[in-house]
Amino acid sequence: MATMVPPIPTADDKKVDQKVDYSNLSCPIAFEELHREAMMSLKPELFEGLRFDFTKMLNQKFSLNHSVSMGPTEIPSQSAEVIKIPTANYEFGANFIDHPKLLLLGRAMTDGRVTARVKYDVFDNLTLKANAQLTSEPHMSQGMINFDYKGKDYRTQFQMGNGALLGASYIQSVTNHLSLGGEVFWAGQHRKSGVGYAARYNTDKMVATGQVASTGMVLLSYVQKVSEKVSLAADLMCNYLSRDVTASFGYDYILRQCRLRGKVDSNGVCAAFLEERLNMGLNFILSAELDHKKKDYKFGFGLTVGE
Amino acid sequence: MAKKQSSAIARVCNHPVVRNTKEAASDATVIAKKLLRSTGKAAWIAGTSFLVLVVPLIVAMDREQQINELESQQANILGTPSPLAG
Repeated sequence: MATMVPPIPTADDKKVDQKVDYSNLSCPIAFEELHREAMMSLKPELFEGLRFDFTKMLNQKFSLNHSVSMGPTEIPSQSAEVIKIPTANYEFGANFIDHPKLLLLGRAMTDGRVTARVKYDVFDNLTLKANAQLTSEPHMSQGMINFDYKGKDYRTQFQMGNGALLGASYIQSVTNHLSLGGEVFWAGQHRKSGVGYAARYNTDKMVATGQVASTGMVLLSYVQKVSEKVSLAADLMCNYLSRDVTASFGYDYILRQCRLRGKVDSNGVCAAFLEERLNMGLNFILSAELDHKKKDYKFGFGLTVGE
Repeated sequence: MAKKQSSAIARVCNHPVVRNTKEAASDATVIAKKLLRSTGKAAWIAGTSFLVLVVPLIVAMDREQQINELESQQANILGTPSPLAG
């Protein structure tokens, strides 16, 4: 059966390819998620120390989340040396998911941070997203509200945040594979504004994206799906103002019992992230990051229970 | 006599050929040391990177293959066509 089904849609795709129906294009991916595939394999959630996550479903829609993390955390400092202090943290979370209309997430940490996220589909096409973070440190609390409107072959987003942050973005499918977008933003507190442009080309074998912003940032990424299980990704990030350029290359292997992601970048950092499924709802995580230039080596292990 | 001998040794030591060979030898040892140290460093970086990036991949793929083989064997024993063959 599995071998029988695929040829039909691919044949259809080829027919569509030959003659593009411009009035009937598919909806593009959201502007902020343009680099989603590349980020998946190049930016795994690396951590140092121990991590334990436990999720308990109370009923279909409501779940509770406990997580403990222990290990050294880096303190930002001016010197080249890395300063780390040992910390331990407990996080309590509550999730309410009424799929797909409403999503409410709340997290409280022992260091005094509270975060909240709301995603609510007001109408079929209009989505409201809100994020808030409260901290015990002054001037570090943040809040942001997004309105996403999804059209037939375009998406647009309006963004408001504290510190007089305003932003808007728009992305449009141009052909079946290509979509183009742009964004404007204004940060009133820092008296900064900017525009950005982005392009994304995706077929079922590869995804290529490019993004330029007036802040001097240029981001190019390319993902090749070698097979269903394997994808290779590369990206290049340049910042014209601070004159730093980073290129990285990564792989993403999804096997039956584990998922392995690795990357190397031009700063001399190589990292690997392994998620191993031990049992139903029991995952074991290993994370390693070697920074040869700074001589900073981070290793972490963790356990995820539930989900 | 002793003075004459020492002056002869001094003359040999100060001879340009001997001096040049001495310099060349000391340069060679310095370069060899540097080369050894840098290759050692490169080998260390390559080795540790390999340990982090490639070794888990090899282990994971090997186990995946073993599971696949086991499944196809079981399928053969049970008499149903294996998913790999079909």
